[in-house]
Amino acid sequence: MSPPQRLAVNRLRESLPLDGPAIDRFVTRFGSPIIEGERATFLYRGDVDEAWVRHRVVGLPDPLPLKRIGESDLWSVTTVLPEGSRVEYQIEIRKGEHYERFNDPLNSRLAHSPMGSSSVCAAIGYRVPEWALFDPEARPGTLVEEQIRSKALRRDQPVQIYLPARFNSAQRYPLLIVHDGTDYLQFAAMKTVLDNLIHRLDVDPLVAVFVPPRDRLKEYPHHAPHARFIARELVPLLNDRLPLIDTPEARCLMGSSFGGVASLSTAVRYPGYFGSLLLQSASLVFTDIGFDHGGGPAFDPVVKFVNRYRQRPTAVVDRIFMTCGVYEPLITPNRSMVPVFRHTGMRVRYVESRDGHNWENWRDRLGDGLSWLFPGPQKFVYE
Amino acid sequence: MTTILLGPQRFTTTVGATVRSLGLDGPIAMINSGWEERESEDAELAGHLDGRGVNLRLHHRMMDVLEKDEHFAAAALLFRDRQDELRAFYGIRLQAAIDAVQAVAHRSSLHAIGPVALESAVEAVRAVDAWYAAELDDLYRSVRATAPPDESGTIGWHRGEIGAVLDGCAGVVIAGGNVRTLLRTLRVFNVEIRPELPVVAWSAGAMALTDEVVLFHDHAPHGVTAAEVFDRGLGRLPGIIALPHAKRRLRLEEHDRMSIMARRFPDHRLTLLDDGTVVRFPDGATDLPAGARYIGLDGHVAVVGAA
Repeated sequence: MSPPQRLAVNRLRESLPLDGPAIDRFVTRFGSPIIEGERATFLYRGDVDEAWVRHRVVGLPDPLPLKRIGESDLWSVTTVLPEGSRVEYQIEIRKGEHYERFNDPLNSRLAHSPMGSSSVCAAIGYRVPEWALFDPEARPGTLVEEQIRSKALRRDQPVQIYLPARFNSAQRYPLLIVHDGTDYLQFAAMKTVLDNLIHRLDVDPLVAVFVPPRDRLKEYPHHAPHARFIARELVPLLNDRLPLIDTPEARCLMGSSFGGVASLSTAVRYPGYFGSLLLQSASLVFTDIGFDHGGGPAFDPVVKFVNRYRQRPTAVVDRIFMTCGVYEPLITPNRSMVPVFRHTGMRVRYVESRDGHNWENWRDRLGDGLSWLFPGPQKFVYE
Repeated sequence: MTTILLGPQRFTTTVGATVRSLGLDGPIAMINSGWEERESEDAELAGHLDGRGVNLRLHHRMMDVLEKDEHFAAAALLFRDRQDELRAFYGIRLQAAIDAVQAVAHRSSLHAIGPVALESAVEAVRAVDAWYAAELDDLYRSVRATAPPDESGTIGWHRGEIGAVLDGCAGVVIAGGNVRTLLRTLRVFNVEIRPELPVVAWSAGAMALTDEVVLFHDHAPHGVTAAEVFDRGLGRLPGIIALPHAKRRLRLEEHDRMSIMARRFPDHRLTLLDDGTVVRFPDGATDLPAGARYIGLDGHVAVVGAA
């Protein structure tokens, strides 16, 4: 067994002279963060009074303070980062009374979300799944934009309908309804993912309808008009217009975070109408006693709904695929819900990842989830 | 009647040399409807046949039938929906029966009950397979009664053309692809290959020549993990179950698992068709020839004629 190699930043500390050119060379060579085994060293270079790494990893201090190296303008902090981890973060600095927060200038790798962008720290062993990247060999499906008049929501609801490559009205297709649909397309590359997984025969050709919310915090936590729109307006309309398999087994609701709550609560309001759920980091917050959930007013209706469901859990679908990142605060409620769901007789497949509450985590789990819910025709093809 | 089964042709292409070895004089009929909408992209295959290939265009013809014969198209769609539902129920029952076999196989037995229980559990799997096959026969009977292909003018016209092409051919090659699509086109157009006409087939094409088409993929990410009876093929090679890409698609090293698969089909030889394989059935023979590899009842790969 060879002794553990000393960290690059420690070797820098001991090199003399620790002047500007030496730091320039170091930063150019390594960038930030520096991944060495299961350790990550974050760097910041600048004339500031304090610097931190800001992240949302449960278990690590947030903010994570960087320390100045000697008298130089280079700051660093090293933390453990287990294999396969992926962390989104930003740098925060203080100069006098002035605070500023931004993406890591030494790291070009970014992730995007409706809230903006973040820097990405990928640990050893993490790889973007191949099927999440554009594949010129994969035949593309098409996205059709529509406005649907909804009596339940009292408005026109925009949707985008995904038709798989080689869509043929003489075939029948399962239906996937995606909450936060626009975000899944934009931040989780979901069209590319569907094109690739269908092309690879991992997933059955399916029709997906991407539904964005208007007032997310109102419509997603157990909102009767939203559920009515999905089950009584959207699905019947699509059944009339598209060659869909008109059975519960072929209908799936999916969503992340509050979208996961919207999926579950819609299924609870219309038990047996949907066959499966794909829940990603669902905000299934609950309390065992009292109502002090700590999530703020936005979570009040969520907690009421989940508490009520936990009192009398029932099987509302046949199968649930659940994912959650172990670095996000929702890991505990998600773990807790698995046995509750299973106890009702629903089949549950639950997958954890070393990641957080973010779109790339949800993207990376789609391959496993969609291929479990809609197994592809691999068994039919012998080239 | 010579029939030759080959390994997959994507990386080790032997079809050209194999057809040449037959010394055929005349056009060669090509069936590649398993390629579906890529059926017409057959230039490479035709090249291997020295330009003598004549594509029967079964997939193209099927699309034509579905477009022109609404009555048949509706019946075909209904049949597909019902077969999908049947397969879903079969999958549930099959997986449960296979899980039972594995549980029984791994239970220790002090009083010799284990082997008896195992045989009974395998018999239960065979019963599920037989149930599926019987239900599928009923489905076929039903669709034939509702929309008899013989009464479709469009199908009849295509059958006439196909028959005429085959009459002028000296041999047939059947390529791989989607075995469901391939079988469906062969069945709808009632493709009958004269016994004296030599046939060279690989992958899904090899499966289509047998009397029992079994779907398998031990490495599929999800779904029913056990091999599934799917349909009957043309029956030119009775007693053979063709397993293309066996090394890639089967966990051959798991002998218990392979043994269960072989015991499910005791009247068939589970024949491995990997890259480079050539299995030759000369003069109407249907027994596996010497050198062919198959999965024995003990779950090990065996070679016909090996000491």
